[in-house]
Amino acid sequence: MMRVLALLALAAFILLPLAQAILLSFTATLGGEGVTRGSFGLMNYAAVLASPELRAAMLNSAIYVLLNVSLCIAVALPAAYALARYSFMGDRHFLLAILVFRVTPPVVLSLPIFILFAELGLVNSPVGIALVHCLFNLPVAIWILESFIRAVPRELDETAFIDGHSGPAFFFCHLIPAIAPGIGVAAFFCFIFSWVEVVFARILTVTGGKPITMAIQAMFTFQTNIGMVMAMTCLSLLPGVAMIWFVRNHIARGFTLRA
Amino acid sequence: MPPYDNRAWWLLLPALLLLGVVGALPLLAVINYGFHDIFTLSDVHWVGVEWFADILGSDRFWASLGRSLLFSALVLTIQVPLGIAVALVLLGCGRWAVWGLMMVALPLVVPWNMIPMLWLGLINPDTGLLGPGLAAIGFDYKFTGWHTWALILTVDTWHWLGLVVVLAYAGLSSIPPAYRQAAAIDGASRLAVFRHIELPRIAGALAIVFLLRFVDSFMIYTEAFAINAGGPSDATRFLSIELGEEIKGFSYGQAAARAVLYFLIVLCVVWAFVLATRRRGA
Repeated sequence: MMRVLALLALAAFILLPLAQAILLSFTATLGGEGVTRGSFGLMNYAAVLASPELRAAMLNSAIYVLLNVSLCIAVALPAAYALARYSFMGDRHFLLAILVFRVTPPVVLSLPIFILFAELGLVNSPVGIALVHCLFNLPVAIWILESFIRAVPRELDETAFIDGHSGPAFFFCHLIPAIAPGIGVAAFFCFIFSWVEVVFARILTVTGGKPITMAIQAMFTFQTNIGMVMAMTCLSLLPGVAMIWFVRNHIARGFTLRA
Repeated sequence: MPPYDNRAWWLLLPALLLLGVVGALPLLAVINYGFHDIFTLSDVHWVGVEWFADILGSDRFWASLGRSLLFSALVLTIQVPLGIAVALVLLGCGRWAVWGLMMVALPLVVPWNMIPMLWLGLINPDTGLLGPGLAAIGFDYKFTGWHTWALILTVDTWHWLGLVVVLAYAGLSSIPPAYRQAAAIDGASRLAVFRHIELPRIAGALAIVFLLRFVDSFMIYTEAFAINAGGPSDATRFLSIELGEEIKGFSYGQAAARAVLYFLIVLCVVWAFVLATRRRGA
């Protein structure tokens, strides 16, 4: 009984702000053009989908997040394999060094990263955001993948090599299928940090290439249509909710870490 | 014991290159800026440790540092026990647990700049679901300092509780049932089970939680700025808000020096933490 009450209280706490947002997203908060203020309907969603800037923002967000996740996984897989299967000079120092990068506050690096990326021509482009988010996603991806690879028995590697598989063939045909849930969990954590991040996303998109987070920010003006803001927010939650659904049975397994 | 082979570094090379470009290079640059006065990028003067002396000598810096440390301490004392408690409750729910986990993970996928907006909408006295009730009991986050603190702490807990719950649940669900059965046969109390069986199993995950929550709460910016921009009368002026003001004021040299100081503070805490956990593990 206590347990049910506690869970109900938790559900109320978590869901109340979201309920408020969903409620507002279906409400006309600004009147005009034949819509009475306070009426319910899909007008906010229609307005969001009709706006070219907001559609472009969704595309930008999708591009940089996909780039970031694939880059992180591609770079983290060999590193995680090396850390899980070999000991070598400085392996523990490497784990500590990537910890330092994960805990570096983004504001600390925002200024030089802006200048560096301006030199490289990566400002206002989703590629720049995808690259800079590797700073904190790559360490997390390496940790998660390392713990999953460690859980695979070493015999898998040995049989594959005895069977005459080369390094790359082993990676793609044996290792990746064996740790597929781990890749899913790593991709999930990369996704949730990258999709919602705002500090780097703000400084790297001055005039164009704005992702969803910055497009929402730009909707706050002298007379904000808060219903439309909430509609955009609710739409931006959908990919995240889908990700949670896909990894729901593995999400709690991915973190047996060592530092 | 895994085989010893230094050629494994080749597999780390892509990761090292990437982190070098987006991490190490900017870090070196920001340290360099901290020793200069920067008007424009072509008009730069060496000023030595002047910025550092300025910042360390100002009362405002120490007051902000105190506020940020207090905020992190409160965040950890609220969120870690609460997260473990929720994970323990969920563990007893069998196959419903996965729904609970999905629910607490929801706030993690909300864009950060919208999280304060959601809460400000919720407590808006005219249109919010909780607004009229809170207004009736005299809640006023704009002008009463500790109300602002309570609101920011609530928002932060809402945002990050899911991370603590998921990681704690991961550790707890990996405990073999035989451990609990043995404890039950020995007549161990609930507290003893937690202290001697559950806590050691989640210690690793908790270490990560502590680190991540410390760093992110210590440098909280988005929520704190959107809710009251450091006010009322500096009651929630955290370290990152001071840094944000300097960057917006184009005082780049000073901002860089400040950023370096923050980085060193975070590094010291993390290092002390790693040493402490190693000693316990050894």
